[in-house]
Formats: sequence, C-alpha cells, structure tokens
Amino acid sequence: MEVEWLVTVFIAVVFPFFLTSLSLYTARLVKGPTIPDMILAVDCISYDLALFMALLAIYFKSSFLIVGSISLALWAYALDLYAAKWMEGRELGD
Amino acid sequence: MAIDLGSLIPVLKELALYVGMALVAVGVFCDLVGSIGLLRFPNFFVRLHAATVGTIGGAAYPLLGVALMALACDFLGDIKWFIATGSFLTSIIVVLTAPAGSHALARAAHRSGVPVEPKVCDLLEEDRGGRRVA
Repeated sequence: MEVEWLVTVFIAVVFPFFLTSLSLYTARLVKGPTIPDMILAVDCISYDLALFMALLAIYFKSSFLIVGSISLALWAYALDLYAAKWMEGRELGD
Repeated sequence: MAIDLGSLIPVLKELALYVGMALVAVGVFCDLVGSIGLLRFPNFFVRLHAATVGTIGGAAYPLLGVALMALACDFLGDIKWFIATGSFLTSIIVVLTAPAGSHALARAAHRSGVPVEPKVCDLLEEDRGGRRVA
C-alpha cells in the first residue's frame, strides 16, 4: 500500500509539469513559422505523449496504454522521414 | 558465508523504484528545458538542439525510469511485466529513431532552403559554392 501511494502521488505531482511542456510544444506547433519547426514540435509532442501514456498505464493499472506508447514513438519517426522526403521533393523509397 | 538471494529482492525493488522515480524527475526537468528552448530559440537548427534535450532527456530516460518503477510496483500484479517491457522497448525505439529522424529533418530543411536568421556560419553551403557567411 505504501509503494502504491508513493507512486500514485509521484505521478500526480509530475503530471502538471508534463502538461506545461506539452502546452509549450503546442505553442511552437501553432507559431511555426516553418514546416520543419512544426514537424519538430509534433515529434516532441509524440515522444512526450508516449511517456505520458506509460505513466498513465501505471496510474490506471492498465497494460493497454503501453501499446499506444510504442505506436506513438514509431509514428513520430515515420512522420520525420516522410516529411523530410517531401521537403526534398522526393518520394519515399527513391 | 552464503548470501541469501531471497533477502536481496526487496532491496533491489526499492532501489529500482527510487532510481526510476529519479529518472522520471530528471526527465521532467529536461522536458521543461527542451520545451522552453524550442519556444525561445531563434531558428530551426538551434531549436533542433533544444528538441534533442526534450526527446532523449525528456522521453528516453524517463521511459527507462517508468520500466524500473513498474518492476517495483507489486500492486500492479502481472501487468507490471507488460508495462516494464513496453516502456523499455519504447525507450530503445526513441533512442534509435529520434536522432535519425532529426538528422533527416535537418538535412531536408537545409536542402529545401529553410530561412536561417541569424546565420553565423554555414560551411555546407560554402562547400556547395554558396556565399560565405560572416
């Protein structure tokens, strides 16, 4: 019970800081000014959300959330590569 | 003198819990620093630097911490193994893919002529026969 209380309180304390950094990343996403800046902000948000979901998995005692975490990390990489190829004017695989 | 391995397990669990929490706390700090840098820095290539702090320091290390925390959380039951493995895998994925993705993005941004202000030095452009900066 003591460990559960400690972990739950710790996660609850950490959440507002993550939400603050998420909102700052979102501000950069909205401000731009260039497309690479926006993609970089989406990347950071995705990695942050992956961590957020891993913490939520412990908080809600659910193993399903961790699957979303892995997918988010992989999706950010796919977005990076696709956007990079698009900016260089080539298709994926060229 | 024989060492009782069974008595070591609670100590290791407690250690994993506190190390995990410390890694998550460090991750929160790196995340805040990275997000402030991403918002305040002047151009894309400098912002990329801040984003690296936000991804490796703010996501990869804390995910490792979550894996350690999950291992120490007996109240989760059997799902602690799922959460620990998933967090560890995600951490490895972030460590491997974030630098590769950032590099691809930086290369594409430079080649597509994203404006860089203020520009101090651009050796790549000089190599390609562009104008000398500074």
